[in-house]
Amino acid sequence: VSCISPQRVMLRTVASSSLAPSVKAKLIRAGFCSVADLQELRPGQLSKEVGVSQEEAAEILKTLHTDALPVNDGGLVARGVTALELLQREQAQGSIVTFCSALDSALGGGVPVGKTMEVCGPPGVGKTQLCIQLAVDVQIPMCFGGLKGQSLYIDTEGSFMVERVVDVARAAVEHCSLLAEDAGNRRKAMKEFTVEKILSCLFLMRCHDYVKLLAQSYLLPSFLSEHPEVRLIVIDSIAYPFRRDFEDFSHRTRLLNALAQHLNQLATQHNVAIVLTNQMTTKVWNGQSKMVPALGESWGHAAAQRLILYWEGARSSCSMTVTDKVRERERERENRECSEPRPNKWLVELEESFCPHLTCVLLYRLAVLSKSSRPDGGHCCHTRSLWSAHTPTP
Amino acid sequence: MTVLRVGMCPGLSHDLINALQSAGIRTVEHLVSTNIEELAQKCSFSYKIIFQALMAVRRVLLAQHTAFPVFGLDLYEELLCSTAILSTGNPSLDKLLDSGLYTGEITELSGGPGSGKTQVCFGVAVNISCRLKHGVLYIDTSGGMSAGRLLQMVQAQIPGAAEQMAALQRIHVYKALDAFSLLACLQEWRAAGLQLMSAGSSVKAVLVDSLSALFSHLVGGRQSNAGMSMMMQVAGELKLLSKDFGVAVLVTNHVTRDSSGVLKSGLGHSWSHVPHNRVLLQKVERPGSHTCLRVAELTKSSRQPCHLQEELDISYSKNLNPENQPVTS
Repeated sequence: VSCISPQRVMLRTVASSSLAPSVKAKLIRAGFCSVADLQELRPGQLSKEVGVSQEEAAEILKTLHTDALPVNDGGLVARGVTALELLQREQAQGSIVTFCSALDSALGGGVPVGKTMEVCGPPGVGKTQLCIQLAVDVQIPMCFGGLKGQSLYIDTEGSFMVERVVDVARAAVEHCSLLAEDAGNRRKAMKEFTVEKILSCLFLMRCHDYVKLLAQSYLLPSFLSEHPEVRLIVIDSIAYPFRRDFEDFSHRTRLLNALAQHLNQLATQHNVAIVLTNQMTTKVWNGQSKMVPALGESWGHAAAQRLILYWEGARSSCSMTVTDKVRERERERENRECSEPRPNKWLVELEESFCPHLTCVLLYRLAVLSKSSRPDGGHCCHTRSLWSAHTPTP
Repeated sequence: MTVLRVGMCPGLSHDLINALQSAGIRTVEHLVSTNIEELAQKCSFSYKIIFQALMAVRRVLLAQHTAFPVFGLDLYEELLCSTAILSTGNPSLDKLLDSGLYTGEITELSGGPGSGKTQVCFGVAVNISCRLKHGVLYIDTSGGMSAGRLLQMVQAQIPGAAEQMAALQRIHVYKALDAFSLLACLQEWRAAGLQLMSAGSSVKAVLVDSLSALFSHLVGGRQSNAGMSMMMQVAGELKLLSKDFGVAVLVTNHVTRDSSGVLKSGLGHSWSHVPHNRVLLQKVERPGSHTCLRVAELTKSSRQPCHLQEELDISYSKNLNPENQPVTS
């Protein structure tokens, strides 16, 4: 439907069009308040009446004409779908598994494509690990229930470790090859699903401050058009660049809200899943202090789903026996390689827990889905070390 | 400010318009507010042209563009036969809103993240589509729409699969991801008529979820004039839609905390005058497990006293209206 009936154009006002405010002001001062007034004019007449150059007048007429077109042709008018069609589309769309069954069932099958999800948690709880796992899981071939898509990883903290990606990819390939033994088409798909292929389909961008991050987000539409197979965008973390050097909090809130809406637009238009990582901050309220997600209250509305990871209770008691085993292996490892100075306590625990030689459960975490499209999604699920990137021993 | 054009009324010829334009009169507003004698002296027209043509044109234009006063009694009778009250599907919310959403009015629902605004919107859409069998237009601005959840809620109200599909087909979802598309959408509907949009079933409600996702970054800064004007245009369009087409409009908004820590709805002071009824949703602070209960407070209403509070259950998992019989196929 590319022709616009004159009646439908008649009520579109100039003030609501997407022209620049100065141009709109000139048009309104010249007496044009609705698009119908401009319909019969040529660019020459318009430029004389309004006082703009002829190229600008032609540009104005073209913009007003495009605005009235449907969204597929570059315009603004959205075509509606019934809820039934939307349901069929949603059921045909897959989701990205996390290889943790409790988390997948809480999320309704995995991380949904076409929506934004926020993962919050204290430092060291495993947000980056979850993101790395998702960046590999999105590439699983379709015959195993995956999406066979590529992923884009935007790293703002410098916490991206390629070695870890190799570990996770290797474990995923092993897991899938175990499943592929019985079916022919799966074996064929396994030929393409190798560690090298996984690494080559993972795009990495590094943004060191918020200006670069905002600029990168505005370049994403062209990137996504050039790489239509991308199904996952991870921004790790979105809190870090916005928590430094910002004195004016209302300015920060406005920038964040604009970025959130832009990301929502990207997720819907290009059919990608967007996962954002956030940090925690302490809120002092009525004499009590509580850990809440950072970046303020209005940021809470940004993502469609929000997952908050906590440590369960006191980690010391339940993990004591396990850390003994860990310490043994670590001593072995230290004897083999020269030991580097340990950066901090949290990082060490993480590396211990994700040592690729261990196959059993290590540290307990709680995951709470605090915001989702279903109200019963807020239950706590106990997750056992999700990202032990290898198959559990039978 | 309508531009003067040939044929707008009899007597407005091409020569007259050119002469007026050379005197600086371009729009209807200018013409009816200038003094005709001064105009005559400026343009050096002949006396006959002034008094016969211009006065006649002025009278006709005034008649075309004036609003007519209406008697209160006529207004009341029109209100009685055209207004409908739509139940929201949640009896506690209905009690708070004086039995439901009124057509011709804008109701605003605000709350923090995860407080249940989208669930209540789903509940309203499902109730209107299943029980009242009318169409619903749902504008989704932030990707929070989940058709699977709608199906769950519909299945709790209607047993048969064919009926469920028919109910889902009465809900029309539009995606408006920035302020311009929202305005374009609303103006399209006003021009084409809402019934054309829904292909048959009469539309009784328009839901916008959420308005603050589009406008919260446009208002409140130093250069917020353009954003504020877009927001007010959207407000104007929503009011016109609700009055002209007899639909109920439900809008969601976020909340902010002011300097003393009290929760208030977002989008600022100017927006707060637009909705006729405002409800604030909050989570119930119960330690331990997660609950589906929320507290709703009425912060602005044209009918009820303010600051009434009710506890709501937003799980929508069972039939919340036991006195209405479920629909059988």
